[in-house]
Order: sequence, then structure tokens, then C-alpha cells
Amino acid sequence: MHLALTGKYEVIVADRMLPRRDGLSIVRILRADNNHTPVLVLSALGEVNDRVAGLQAGGDDYLVKPFAFSELLARLGALTRRQQPAPMDQRLQVADLTLDLRDQSVKRAGKPIRLQPREFRLLAFLMRHSGQLVTRTMLLEHVWEFHFDPQTNVVDVQISRLRSKIDRDHELPLLHTVRGSGYKLSECP
Amino acid sequence: MNALEPPPPRLWRTTAIRLAVGYVLAYALALVVALAAVSWTTAIYSDARARSQLQQELKLLTHGSKRTDTQAIKDAMLLRMHGASRKKRLYLLVSADGNKLVGNLLAWPTEEDIPVDGQVRTVEIELEVLPPKWFEDDSFIPVIATELPDGGRLLLGLGVAQAKLLQDITEYLSEGLLLAVLLSLAMGLTLGRAILQRINTISSAAARIMAGDLSRRVPVSPRNDEFDALAGRLNAMLGRIQQLIKGMREVTDNIAHDLRSPLTRLRSQLEITLLEPRTEEQYRRAIALGIEESESLIRTFNSLLEIAQAHAGQFSGNVQALDLCALAHDLVEFYGAVAEEAGLALAIEDCSCVNIEGSRDLIAQAIGNLLENAIKYTPAGGAVTVQVIQADNAVELRVNDNGPGIAEAERARVLERFVRLESARHTPGNGLGLSLVQAVARLHQAELTLRDGHPGLHVSLRFPRMRSAKAMS
Repeated sequence: MHLALTGKYEVIVADRMLPRRDGLSIVRILRADNNHTPVLVLSALGEVNDRVAGLQAGGDDYLVKPFAFSELLARLGALTRRQQPAPMDQRLQVADLTLDLRDQSVKRAGKPIRLQPREFRLLAFLMRHSGQLVTRTMLLEHVWEFHFDPQTNVVDVQISRLRSKIDRDHELPLLHTVRGSGYKLSECP
Repeated sequence: MNALEPPPPRLWRTTAIRLAVGYVLAYALALVVALAAVSWTTAIYSDARARSQLQQELKLLTHGSKRTDTQAIKDAMLLRMHGASRKKRLYLLVSADGNKLVGNLLAWPTEEDIPVDGQVRTVEIELEVLPPKWFEDDSFIPVIATELPDGGRLLLGLGVAQAKLLQDITEYLSEGLLLAVLLSLAMGLTLGRAILQRINTISSAAARIMAGDLSRRVPVSPRNDEFDALAGRLNAMLGRIQQLIKGMREVTDNIAHDLRSPLTRLRSQLEITLLEPRTEEQYRRAIALGIEESESLIRTFNSLLEIAQAHAGQFSGNVQALDLCALAHDLVEFYGAVAEEAGLALAIEDCSCVNIEGSRDLIAQAIGNLLENAIKYTPAGGAVTVQVIQADNAVELRVNDNGPGIAEAERARVLERFVRLESARHTPGNGLGLSLVQAVARLHQAELTLRDGHPGLHVSLRFPRMRSAKAMS
């Protein structure tokens, strides 16, 4: 608590079930103190209203226990990345793949690629987090806005479709699968 | 009985007694106030009456001051005096030298100096001069006195029995008050005892239930009064609690039963890996397998919790107006790729935009589970269609497939937790999908039905139409 208030951190992980105190109170104090360090709230309370409470208290992300460690790392990565001066420009670029948010166009090596609206959202999310591990749950939450765990490999199938559109006919694959964890969009695997 | 148990209430501490006592006090206060008011107004009234009567009598005797001869007045007074004492009238005529000429007063009163000015005033007259059998304590009497031309004096008085009247009233009222006090106390006691008895039955039933007999209920009498209404409510509450506890127990049993085997599998896999030295590649594989196994465990665990929460009837999400059609579109699009991969045509057919009320997350998951089932069990080449149909007072979501369907006898069973049909043994899954759909449906007061599609399975979820701004709880 003292450390969180005084130190300067890149990101703070706050557990809700702390001895004698809800981690959210710390987040509230931090925010009241005008401290904008990104906070990931960690909790076994996984219902939607718990999540909402966590985010309303000033948390930037909410992860429900039990979680895969890679999921935590990926989310922390996304949070620290967000902290850096955000690329406010409307153009995202990874290697020779470009995505223009204004006219919703995607080009690889100058050649236009046609994407479905949802595929566009998926790619935009991946590009915004390029070079970082992105988990299936993160994609579900941010691209489809579903907060449940599909029993089938829906996300994998969507990714493989997207991959076939952006990586086919190109020597350098950009969309990589990180085994057991998720995906990564980058020049090197 | 433990130390925390509150002692049974004493009769004199019951609300009924307190009410009775309070009522008596209020009644007494009102009586006292009324008494004061009555005596005050009586005094004013009788005073005024006496004043006018005395003046009238004087006028009569003196013939409006025209009769001044003492003898004539004496004669007139003798006539008027008949039955004077009985009528509470006092008469006295004395000569100039103070001798009584006529009257029922024995002598001119000396207790108080009475001015002979023809004005009415209330004076105290000593008992010795009052006629016999006069009211004993009524010695304050309105009188009028005047002097005649020859020096004689005339005194007229009118007893109004004021004090006596007041005393009588007070007596009656206090008797009434005493009666009221006794009656109220008796009523309070009876009422208190009756209510105490009713409450004691409820209280003792509660104590039994607390001691662990959850199936016990508060007895309901055939009187159908407010206590029975309360008992009925309490019983309904107890029923719900018992149902929830039963649900919890089921979940615990399920967890114990169905998570134990995968956990054992995970453990033995890891143990076997450790038994002899392996290559790094083998270790990696074992670890990856372990992660996979634990992930499926977590998934099952989460599903169970979600079902339990939905069953418990708590809305985990915010209830919101929800366009079922838009949500169905999103899900069909989401699962479209998977369906295509499985060689199925997944399409949304009819879709009318109607809002329902509910949690988007839960309903999305329920529809997702239905779609996953349809995709999983329909052989390649089949078709899965989704419809959102507006009925009279309901919105119906249908997921139809033309797969093998479910035999009629098994349709009810597949809704139970962990039930997987023999034909589904070879496919992945934990047997919780339809249980969750069922729980979500129940939470939204929706009706889940499975029908034969000739061929295939037709699943329908009938949601009640959105009611105007009414919470679902």
C-alpha cells in the first residue's frame, strides 16, 4: 500500500483478497491521489458485477483466478504498452502490413486485402499489441465482447482464417501461434 | 440452546401491554383535560344564568323599582318564597335596624361584607345563616343586595350547586377512568398472551430449523390471519433456502465426483513422467499435457460455478435491455468459421428485432453452448439454422440442426449436470453445456424445450417479452 502510493511503477497488480482489505480500496486511493499507474486487478470474484466494480474503481484490467500465467503476462504487457505514448495516428503498421483505421483498409506489401468487419477488428487489436502475446480470452473480450469460454476452438479458427488472408503468398509469416497461450503478431516469431 | 439465544419475552414486556398502558395514560390525560374544560364552562354558564335570574327576581319583587314600600315588598316576597329552599333560592328582607322581616336566610350574612348596590356577585355566606338542608359545601353563592328607601335591605341569592355538580362529574369520570384502566390492562394482557403464543410457535420452529432440521416449517393455522401470512412467507423463504442448499450440495457432489478423476489423471501423468529420466522434449510434452489437463479442469470448474450462480438466481451481470437478434447475429458470425470448418451451413434465418431483458454475457453463453452442441453433433454436410421469432408475449430463439437428434427418453436427462449420452463419448466436452443453458433460461424466466426436428434437434428458448422498466429479480 505504502509502496504503491510512494513508488513509481510501470504497472501494479492488485489482488482483491488482501488480508483485512479489499485491493480495490488501494486502487481507489491511488486514483484519488491522481496516480495513473496502470492497475491490473486480480481476483477470484469473477462475476460480471465484480469485474465492473473492479474497473469502476479505477482498475485498467481485471483477471479472474484461476488464470494461466501466460494470460497474466500478456495482459501486463498490454497494460505497460498502453502506458507508452499511444500511437494516436490512424495507421498501424507491422513489417509490410498496414492497417488504416480511417478507410478500414488493410494492405500487405502494397496489395490490398479484403477483410470482414470482425476480422478487421481482430487484426487491428493484434496490430495494436504487435510484438506482444495476446491470449484467446483477451481476443474474446476485446474483439467479440464475449465474457465466456467457448468449449470449441472458435478463436483458433478465426485466427487461422485471418492468417490465411494476411500471410498467404508471403514469405515472412506475421501471425504466430504461441503454443498453449495465444498469439503474437510480429516480424519474428 | 446456546448462550446467544435471546430469552423468551416476558408477558409484561410485550408490545400489547405497552400499547395498553400507553393507551390508558393517554385516556387519563384526555379525561383530565375534558374535566377541566367542563368545570370551566359550567362555571361560566351557571354564573351567567344566576346573574340573569337574580336580576329578574329583584325586578319582580320591586316591580321594576316602582315598589318601594317595605311592607309591599315583604308581601310580594312571601308569595315568591314558596318552596324557595328547595329551588335553591335565598331571600332576606331586613328592616333599617337590621331585624329580619321575612326570608329563608336566618340573618344578614356577616362572613363577607355584601355591598347593597344591586349588582350580582358571588360571596361566601356562613353556614349558620343558611337555611337547613342547604348544600353543605355550597357556601359560595351569587347574590344581589339592594337598599330600600326606608333603610331596609333586600338580599336575594341563587344556589347553583356548582361545586356539587362538578364533584359529581369528577366522580363519574374517575370511575369511568378506573374502569377503562382495568379493561385496557385486561385486554392488553389477553392480547399480549395470545400474540406471545403465536410468536413463540414461530420462534420455536425457527430454533428447530437453526438446530439443523431444515425440512421443518412454521406451523400455519387455518385462521389465515396476519401471523399465518407471515408464517407462509417464512415457509416460502425456508423452502427457497433449502432448495439453494440442495443445489449447493449437488454442485459440491458434482465437483467431488467429476473433478476427482481428471485431477487423479493429471497427478499420475506427472508422477509417471518423474519416475525415470526423460529427454527434454519428453518433459516439455508432459508439461504441455499437464497444462492442457488443468485448463480443461478450470473450464469445467468455471462452468459449474456459473451454473450454480445462475441456479441460485443471482444476476451476476447487469440486467439490460438486450436485442436478442443482434446478439444471435454476433454469435452466428462468431461460430460461422467453425461451422464452415466442420462442413456445416450455419445461418440465421428469421430475425425480428425484439428486446428482452437479461444479462448479455449469460445469454450469449447459453446461445453459444447451443451452437457449439449443434456444430459438434451434426455430421458434415448438415445445416444449423438460428431463428428469432416474435410470439404473443414471448421472444423465441431457436437453434435447429438436422443431425442425429436426441431420443425422446433422453431429452430430460441431457439437461442434468455431467450427463453425456453414450453416443457423445468420443467427443470432447464435460456434459455441462445444456445444464448451463437450462440454468440461464431459468434465471431469465425463459423456457427451454428440446424437440424432434425430423431429423435433427430443435432447441427453443422462449424468453418473456420485456416488461416496462421492471427489474428481473
